[in-house]
Amino acid sequence: MVKVRVKYFGRLRELLGVKEEDYDVEDSTLADLLLKHIPSRHPEAANEWRKTVFVTVRDDVAMGRDGMPILKNHFILVGGRSPDLTYRLRDGDEVAILPPVGGGDDEG
Amino acid sequence: MRVKISENLDDLSGLIEEIKGVSNEVGAIIVFVGVVRGLSSEGERVLRLEYEAYEEQAAKKLENIIAELKGKYGIIDAIVEHRVGVANVGENTVYALVASKHREEGFKSIIELIERLKHEVPIWKKEVTERGSRWIEST
Repeated sequence: MVKVRVKYFGRLRELLGVKEEDYDVEDSTLADLLLKHIPSRHPEAANEWRKTVFVTVRDDVAMGRDGMPILKNHFILVGGRSPDLTYRLRDGDEVAILPPVGGGDDEG
Repeated sequence: MRVKISENLDDLSGLIEEIKGVSNEVGAIIVFVGVVRGLSSEGERVLRLEYEAYEEQAAKKLENIIAELKGKYGIIDAIVEHRVGVANVGENTVYALVASKHREEGFKSIIELIERLKHEVPIWKKEVTERGSRWIEST
């Protein structure tokens, strides 16, 4: 069994209504997790999820030349490192999905 | 070097004494205090900000930034404290202190430290105004 923990922050945490959750992802890449496993557990938010995390064209996730989906300003960390989406998930991985950090000038 | 991501900030005068005590070569301490402003950049009345962090990574990233500033500007030390959770208008949300031998490298460092804090460190904030709320995100 390949069990991973996924952490969500900011807008994504709000969208899915959960801070973190575990997935059993036998024989899956990071792209599989983001494109299949997470949306199928959250069908009500799946469309918004895809539009928020990925570049989409007419509701379809845009694919790069490498055949991988194109992230929209989001940053993925696995155990503190940032592998590409072809990374094959391993048992015990902690995957953090980070929305863009804002800057902003509400303070300071 | 000390970094803290927490619901509460420590007493600022204590932080000044703490960083002063790091070395007797300290000749300048530059202090930045971030305060929740009552008016948004769109001119709306702000009710509060809500902060959320990936705490382990945020602390690690800040430590790396401070280490880089030490190498780049030769500052002696830095302390950063950042709030998470709800912060109301007028409340302090960030303390950043830089200790250096001379003021010049301290001023340069504090500007870079705050810019990088806002753009590179995984801390998110939601602005809640009288008209609604939105996550502040760069595009």
